[in-house]
Amino acid sequence: MPSLDIAGLIAKVAMGDRAALASLYSAVSPKLFAICLRILKDRTDAEDALQDVFVKIWQRADRYAATGVNPNGWLAAIARNQAIDMIRARRPVADTIGEEGLEIVDGSPDPEAVSIGLGEGRRIDRCMSELPPERADAVRNAYVEGLSYQELAERYSVPLNTMRTWLRRSLLKLKECLER
Amino acid sequence: MTELDDSDRDRSRDEVLAAEYAVGVLSFADRKRLEARIEREPAFALLVAQWEDRLSPLELAAEEVPPRTVYPKIEARLFGSPVTARGMRTGWWNSVALWRSVAFASLAAVVVMAALQQGLFGSAKPPAPLVASMTGEGSPLALHASYDAASGRIAVTPIAANAGQPRSLELWMVPGGDAAPVPLGVLPQDGRGVIEVPAALRAHLADGMTLAVSVEPPGGSPTGLPTGPVIAAGQARYP
Repeated sequence: MPSLDIAGLIAKVAMGDRAALASLYSAVSPKLFAICLRILKDRTDAEDALQDVFVKIWQRADRYAATGVNPNGWLAAIARNQAIDMIRARRPVADTIGEEGLEIVDGSPDPEAVSIGLGEGRRIDRCMSELPPERADAVRNAYVEGLSYQELAERYSVPLNTMRTWLRRSLLKLKECLER
Repeated sequence: MTELDDSDRDRSRDEVLAAEYAVGVLSFADRKRLEARIEREPAFALLVAQWEDRLSPLELAAEEVPPRTVYPKIEARLFGSPVTARGMRTGWWNSVALWRSVAFASLAAVVVMAALQQGLFGSAKPPAPLVASMTGEGSPLALHASYDAASGRIAVTPIAANAGQPRSLELWMVPGGDAAPVPLGVLPQDGRGVIEVPAALRAHLADGMTLAVSVEPPGGSPTGLPTGPVIAAGQARYP
């Protein structure tokens, strides 16, 4: 279903239209369920997550209009965040915010000066290819599988702080490239 | 590299945190901390939304159809009953007015009225939530609790308890000094517990600001100033 139709359904859901929620579910639940399943790796958990995702979509639909982002990306983010929260609650990992000493500076323009890019599509592939292959791979796996810093560090056999530095630098480089 | 002042440094740090949140690599506690910031800081919420949008092309195209049993559970959680008519939003919270009109004696006497509520929905016989209104002797405040067995969740909504007479609870921002309290809105009775702060007032909501709740006529104070008793007040601060 085209983005515009999805955005229209979200707008109706924001107005409390139950039938629109059912249509939205038919249109996007296979995609969102696949996201939950990939991150949680358990069907029952993924079904529970999917329920939570649609409860949130119903509750937050009125906030969608203000974001101006791609509706599919907005929906996918709700699914990813729900699944990641569930897996993190179940398999705790060390906190990383607050223990700084890893000052990484984003030298790009103020966010207000940059509009949200829509349809960045294949550009992200070009920008990913500008990163060292292993780091691009880490970004992709972190995103697609919902891995934590700890799990990434184990998978790539590097210390946790090294992984944090890699990922942070890679993300800022990615942003800089996408805004170029 | 040019010198960075503090605001540049904060923005730079927030940019990284928003990116880490969007990718999903943080711990549960760190995620919850950032989610609290997303709720109360529109600028930070925007950074996160931009990162989520920026990274979304990395998502795989894979699809997996969920079992048929999932959607009815979602409807049960949201509406308490399956959809029967197009576009109708007849949540069980509609019956809050009913609960408000009932006087409750004391906290010890918790009244459970699921059976009565079941009657409100006619022949559809939806899975009615278990509800209770809790209040203390002489307290102007009652808490309406509703347990939804399908989701295993209890939603608690504050309401004004005043024998026989519906009242609203209104939230105020009290700037202090000689300034008058500013109404932020009537406490919602839809179970979401969220008040949208008018855009013009958001800048004033800061550390040290006092928030207060007063008992008002239904729909809120008619004068724009508190008319009923202030039943709760406290200073806002970042934890």
